[in-house]
Amino acid sequence: MSDYKYIGRSVPIHDAQGKVTGSLRYAGDMVLPGMLHLALLTCDIPHGIVKSIRTERALALDGVVDVLHCFNTTKERFNRYRNIHGQKLINQEEIFPERVRFVGDRVACVIAETPQAARAALPLIEVEYERLPYATDAKTVIESGVLDDMFEDGAVYPAPELINGEQPDLTGTTITQTQAHFDRQSHVTMEPQACIADYDPLTGQATVYSPNQSVNGLRTVLADLFDLPYHKMRVVKTTMGGSFGSKQEWMAEPVALAAALHTGRPVKIVFTREQAMLSTITRAAFDGKMTTHVTPEGKVLSVDIETVIDAGAYLSNSLDYCIVVSSKIFRCYTFPYVRYNGKAVCTNSPVSGAFRSWGTAELYLLVEHHFNELARKLGMDATDFRLKNIVKLGDVDKKTGVSLGDVRIGDCIKQGREKFGWFAKRQAAEAFNAQNGRFLRGVGIGCGGHGNTYFPRREDFGAAQMRVSEDGTVLVNISLHDHGCGTVTAFQMMIAETLTIPIDQVAVGEADSSVTPFDLGCFASRTTYVLGRIAVDCAEKLKDLLVATIAKADGSEPEAVKIQGGQILAGDKHYSFADAAQYALHTLQQELTVMHQFVADSNPGVTGAHFAHVEVDTKTGMVAVLDYLAMHDIGKVINREITVAQIQGAVAMGTGCALTERMTPNKNGRFTSSLKDYHLRNCPEAPDVEVEFVEADSIGGPFGAKSIGELSLVPVAPAIMGAVNDALDASLSYLPLTPDRILKHLANGGESR
Amino acid sequence: MKLNFTVNGAPRSLETPPDQRLLDILRNELDLTGCKEGCGEGECGACTVLLDDKAVLACLTVAAQLEGAQITTIEGLTENGKPGALQAAFVEEGAVQCGYCIPGMVLSAKALLNETSDPTEDDIRRALAGNLCRCSGYTQIIRAVKRTAKEMGAE
Repeated sequence: MSDYKYIGRSVPIHDAQGKVTGSLRYAGDMVLPGMLHLALLTCDIPHGIVKSIRTERALALDGVVDVLHCFNTTKERFNRYRNIHGQKLINQEEIFPERVRFVGDRVACVIAETPQAARAALPLIEVEYERLPYATDAKTVIESGVLDDMFEDGAVYPAPELINGEQPDLTGTTITQTQAHFDRQSHVTMEPQACIADYDPLTGQATVYSPNQSVNGLRTVLADLFDLPYHKMRVVKTTMGGSFGSKQEWMAEPVALAAALHTGRPVKIVFTREQAMLSTITRAAFDGKMTTHVTPEGKVLSVDIETVIDAGAYLSNSLDYCIVVSSKIFRCYTFPYVRYNGKAVCTNSPVSGAFRSWGTAELYLLVEHHFNELARKLGMDATDFRLKNIVKLGDVDKKTGVSLGDVRIGDCIKQGREKFGWFAKRQAAEAFNAQNGRFLRGVGIGCGGHGNTYFPRREDFGAAQMRVSEDGTVLVNISLHDHGCGTVTAFQMMIAETLTIPIDQVAVGEADSSVTPFDLGCFASRTTYVLGRIAVDCAEKLKDLLVATIAKADGSEPEAVKIQGGQILAGDKHYSFADAAQYALHTLQQELTVMHQFVADSNPGVTGAHFAHVEVDTKTGMVAVLDYLAMHDIGKVINREITVAQIQGAVAMGTGCALTERMTPNKNGRFTSSLKDYHLRNCPEAPDVEVEFVEADSIGGPFGAKSIGELSLVPVAPAIMGAVNDALDASLSYLPLTPDRILKHLANGGESR
Repeated sequence: MKLNFTVNGAPRSLETPPDQRLLDILRNELDLTGCKEGCGEGECGACTVLLDDKAVLACLTVAAQLEGAQITTIEGLTENGKPGALQAAFVEEGAVQCGYCIPGMVLSAKALLNETSDPTEDDIRRALAGNLCRCSGYTQIIRAVKRTAKEMGAE
């Protein structure tokens, strides 16, 4: 272990007490004076035109204030995914469209004095539709052209082709083609989308309180939508009950602000679970095809990937998503030649959007499945096969040319397979399967790589400000958006470590667009790596200022002053931070404050290897995870237990994605919209997950730390899928591997290759 | 209807439609917003409270079922304004992340510990089967319940 006082230890997160006692308020729990309530009406047909809306009966209900809909609300278009001013995107969405494009599209909202009145009025709104032909899957849209007129530019959006490297001599290689698929999935944050919008007609001040990942992105989208000046549009981040990407796009806030502007009163909207599943964002249904040329020794020389991302009813981020998918392959493996083509396709389905890992989990499902097939074809062990194709220490990311630094996927695979007992488990599974009919066991490995910042793909920078109070405590002003995974506490730990003071002497606020410095938002796995680095550098600057201040007060040279154990030492004299703050205040007539800005300039490889041991019940098609190891190349762990818990959560989520979680349409085009039918891991089903780290100081991040939140999901589904295929001697890659799909495979005689 | 019941030890009397959900009574009438709505259909467990010491879902319980009942919410588990033993164990074990499932999770665990002070891991997993957590893999949650049971046994 290191000499750090806080870094790498386990500290409960800052608001755990408020959460565990129920005293902490999420947006849905907040009440403002005079607040009104919204209920959202969504459409129940998959594609059509709103011909008329009659609201008389709804308006007659006691407590109903008004009803907003497409005939009385702005027609301005926006993109729910925009997170920075000037981002070049296609705007297809209106708050209430006249042309509705999926079951769950917004049709109207009731504004009422109570939530009960708002809900009661919904069935009293009469909407007349003209139905249009529809399609809920990308293949039908591409083949039939049925949605060619859904938008001005059609429904199919190809990504520019990527070609990386030179096609080498392929003599003696073997060509192999495989496919993989994920059904549409839901984030299922336990807290559904909710927010409060407020507007003061006298001052023109608009304020939105919401659990969001980018106060500044949201601020500009809302201001542009309603033509408000940016300085009168304030967004305050509230406690977030989970995101996994679903709270970095804007579905609730435009509706609530429309109502607040309309009434001049604060208005709250809380999505139902059905709306959270259908009417926010989902992970796109994904189809991929991969073709490679591999040498007899197992070195892949040429890779050709084609993907189809089902964007759902609005393109929003899907074209970017499709492009970004191509870049992630270079974060874990290296090939002489890669060609990538993809397309995003709009369908009459719930809208696709950001989902933990932003397409990387989908890409590695395709790659890892393909590698399992290649290993089997060549008679190689799956872990050995990967070791022949991974990136190594000091390699560069072949797409960006930026160093991968201390990338350690090799250590993850080698140390992981040893800790897991990979070879012993494989042998034991073979012996077990030889003796058993009903239950079959297998092992699987999944690898993956990710980033820590947008750098160098797009701008990435940020700022922090720190102030020392009169009593020596430190106030930190930085645009954090804690998703619930302990960001604020991690920052308290990093700053306290740097300043050598107790954690509880550091107060770290969260993002408020009118108060905290500009930042892009907490996504792209950039929070700890980029903003953490900024916080630590800012704390170093503050130390310099504390030293300079005490040097003045003491009449010594700054070189003779140092900070240690929370004290400022000048010769044999000890000063506190409070002494420095008070001297500055009363004598220098200054506040002890520093501001630090920083532009990201590195992005080391951050990788992981997961190992799964499963048992398949061939009678029921159910899969039990017997053992699981997640091995992560993390650089440095900041808050250990919470990091472990976050990774275990990723494994539970990924296991759900691999085995049960799917949103599929019924015959009327309505997708799965209830937790009765959408099955995530519960406590009895969640696997026991062992988590191990390869810790080696990385460059660029705070204390050598790299990212973890998104990456930890990436290897999970491939590892589970690989283990199921090992157990069944199968090549199933159409996920999730539900009991029905496994039984169907077995009923067909187990032929899947 | 006129409803007389007890919430966190205090007698309450209020006028309510008989079909009003306990969840809405707690949140809207009594300002006990620790009771969370996660799905409104009994699938996620976020609104779990204790009714006469047994775990029930406040989204599926209505006023007509509550006459004379003793309700305990997450706010009722605090001791002198501080987290009670079970709540403190959740904090210290790192069982709390986004926190939205936590009140219901704690109350399901409380119902289990009301029945047995020495639960096995299987008992704990079964008792929490109706409470979904999306942030963790339940490991720290299970550990917090085990720890509390152990501490209770030691007293």
